[in-house]
Amino acid sequence: MKNFDVIIIGAGHNGLAAASYLSKKGKKVLVVEKNQNVGGLAEYSDSLNCVSPIIKKELNINVTNVDKTTHIVSLEDNQNHTVLEDNNGKLSFLKTNAEEEDQQKFLSIINNYKLFSKTLGSFMFQQPPRVKSGKKSDLFQLISMGWKIRKLGKKNMRELLRIIGLNIADDLEDNLSNNNLMGLLSHEAVLGTNLGPRSPGSILTLLYKQATNNNIFNLKKIEVAEYIKQLEDCCNKNMVEIIKSSEVKKILTQNNSVTGVQLTNGEVFESKYLMSNADPKTTYLNLLGAEILDTDFIRRVKNFRNKGNVAKLELVLENEININNIDKNMYGKFIYAPNIKYIEHAFNANKYNKYSDNPCLEFYVNQNTISANVYYVPYLLNSHHEENKIIKRCVSILSKFIPEMKIAKQELTTPNKMEEKFNIGGGHWHHGDLEIDQLLMMRPFYGSSQYSTPINGLYLCSAGTHPGGGLTGINGLNAAKKVIEELK
Amino acid sequence: MNTTKISYKKPLLETPFHERTSEHCYSNDWYRWAGYKVAKEYSSTELEYTSMRNTAGVIDITPMHKYDIKGEDAKNFINKLITKDISNIQSNQVAYGIWCNEDGMVIDDGTIFCFNENHFRIFCAERNLNWFSDTGTGFNVTIEDISSSIAALAFQGPLSCKILNLLQVKNIENLKPFHFDSYKIEHHNVIISRTGFSGDLGYEIWCDPSQAIDVWDNLFKFNRDYKVLAAGMNALDMVRIEAGFIQPNADFMSAEQALRPNRMRNPYELGLGWLVNLDKEYFTGKQALIRHKEKGPEKKLVGLDVEGDKPAVGSVLYDNSKKNIAKEIGIVTAAMWSPVLKSNIAIGFVNKEYYKLGSNVYAEIYHPEELDYRKIWAECKVVKKQFFNNPRRNAIPAFI
Repeated sequence: MKNFDVIIIGAGHNGLAAASYLSKKGKKVLVVEKNQNVGGLAEYSDSLNCVSPIIKKELNINVTNVDKTTHIVSLEDNQNHTVLEDNNGKLSFLKTNAEEEDQQKFLSIINNYKLFSKTLGSFMFQQPPRVKSGKKSDLFQLISMGWKIRKLGKKNMRELLRIIGLNIADDLEDNLSNNNLMGLLSHEAVLGTNLGPRSPGSILTLLYKQATNNNIFNLKKIEVAEYIKQLEDCCNKNMVEIIKSSEVKKILTQNNSVTGVQLTNGEVFESKYLMSNADPKTTYLNLLGAEILDTDFIRRVKNFRNKGNVAKLELVLENEININNIDKNMYGKFIYAPNIKYIEHAFNANKYNKYSDNPCLEFYVNQNTISANVYYVPYLLNSHHEENKIIKRCVSILSKFIPEMKIAKQELTTPNKMEEKFNIGGGHWHHGDLEIDQLLMMRPFYGSSQYSTPINGLYLCSAGTHPGGGLTGINGLNAAKKVIEELK
Repeated sequence: MNTTKISYKKPLLETPFHERTSEHCYSNDWYRWAGYKVAKEYSSTELEYTSMRNTAGVIDITPMHKYDIKGEDAKNFINKLITKDISNIQSNQVAYGIWCNEDGMVIDDGTIFCFNENHFRIFCAERNLNWFSDTGTGFNVTIEDISSSIAALAFQGPLSCKILNLLQVKNIENLKPFHFDSYKIEHHNVIISRTGFSGDLGYEIWCDPSQAIDVWDNLFKFNRDYKVLAAGMNALDMVRIEAGFIQPNADFMSAEQALRPNRMRNPYELGLGWLVNLDKEYFTGKQALIRHKEKGPEKKLVGLDVEGDKPAVGSVLYDNSKKNIAKEIGIVTAAMWSPVLKSNIAIGFVNKEYYKLGSNVYAEIYHPEELDYRKIWAECKVVKKQFFNNPRRNAIPAFI
């Protein structure tokens, strides 16, 4: 039986970030990974990728931003597509049929959102404060949060407080008249959430995503594989033991404290400190076991909303892809969410656990491959997805813009498949909805915030903790810092 | 219009004993209990009370909530639910337990019948299915609400065993307190447990609703000599106060129902610390209860021996004999004049400094007298809650 300072369950990027940090501080760390490769869901993230500068600094990670894609193309059925260029955060229209006034208003809305998300962004990479903890540091952080918002000035503060609970459709309809532009921003607000453009709180999700990714359109910024490799190298350099293709069966506890883990092959590793990079529901209900948690706590675990609704579609064509009415040099991130009504209708089906016949798409094109996020394709608990039907619908939408499509290979990864492959309950990108009641000190839920759990020595470091999903690596780093604090 | 389909317009349900209880219920005064109606008072509360203290009284307790817990984890489930350790419970034994939430605040109390390792049945006053189901997460158990499939009577009083004996219920006198077994009344199969709310010898009889009327009639068979009476809720309330039993949402707010967090009570405040076993590996609320125990209760539910003969119903308690400088230190939750003890008793919360036995506090009693209140400043002595505890209650064999 081997003994470690800290055991980490799951070698997703947060697990690796935590392992790197802990090992750098001289701790003996073990990482147990179910799959053959490390990285987990990271390989998946075409559209969420901004490594936080803190991670880069603390772990000496050297991933450079590559401005691979700078164009955003919003497709429309009448082939009057809108093309935007992102020049280091400065947006401009390359092609649009929106009126001049609309264009200006669109850019000013985005500037406004940027300002607000910057305010939110200042809390993003810290450990969220705990209300009523009685600690001075928590109180100070709460005050500083309030102060940051107040510092926006009277007018902007009012505006932020006005829109923070609002739905994005209302705000856009107040200001714009071009359907395509409204669809484009709504798409960014609702992708990967269980919200429609008319759901309250959809502006907050947009601001929040922007704050974590530092970019409203989440353009591809880094080579994910390169980032994961560097994290793994960092672990290897510091003697972290990584066991792949091994699954943790049970977290072992005694007297409300962690004692170690047991693998499915029966092997037992001992440690007083354990970090789980599995999503909160899996950690508590499957790995730890509900029988040693208080009933109220179980209720909160069960009520944590973690139903994913984005599927990934990979298409390989025999021919090179040409898109109607768009020059090759304008290719970039394509979005098919033509207007608010279309998205909202797609969302309607989602409310009843059905997938829409008219889904929204976001895709990247690379010569003869298309890699697309399709929503809403909800996680189904008791039934199966008719995958061919979904693919057919997507292809028929794509064929509106791609005149020639000879499909050589097709693959759809539904949330259910994602759950199976990556062990994420609900197949949710962020391990749980990023909504106002599941954010900051309330993430994942009351009683489990600040990366801690009711069990002594057990910590969470997955996307289910603050600040949520994405490739920031902050979840792992903050959780590791917390463990170091406890180890002292 | 078909009103039966509109649930809120449906009248209260009738228990399987209704045919009889409605005959006896001269006052037609019904109490609403879990969607059923049961008699508050049949003809005279005092008379019904007297029957329970001198012969035997029959109370319809069918509306009690009953939950069947079955499965290989049944015992582990109960051990997670309640604060007491029941690892050593035997078949046919009854445990009294309370369950708390994560803050260590009491939700409800109940009796837990052990049929075998894999089958328990919980009887309690409030609805708890939701709490039980959530507690059952991760256990191999099924939890079923069987409330409407069992008819129940409390048969309480010094002669209760004698009458059951006369009814040829074999070996009933040897049933130990907090045990139950299957018996026959006439040809009906019933479960009889030696439990109850009166602090005296008494039984609870559980039968199929179809046999309810027959079982009821049998209990009144020897009335020429023994004068068994049907007793209502008011009379039950009198005996339970004398016995010092507390009731959720009367003496304390159930933590699942209280809206104000400071109205919830932990077991130590209710004087139920003896039901908490902190050595047990795990149960809901353990961590919080360790803290509560360390800190000690801020206030406590105690018995009060009140001066005079006017019941201190709803009285506020004070610390000083002089009204003008007295400070509020507690409140009375239940009070009555006890005919059998010939004293004025009450149950109430008092602050830390006053819960030692023998402390003196003062109650301001508002006694209604012909459309006017007489305000009485009565001295009270803090005593044990269990005012009435007859040795008959636990004697084996039981008094025949």
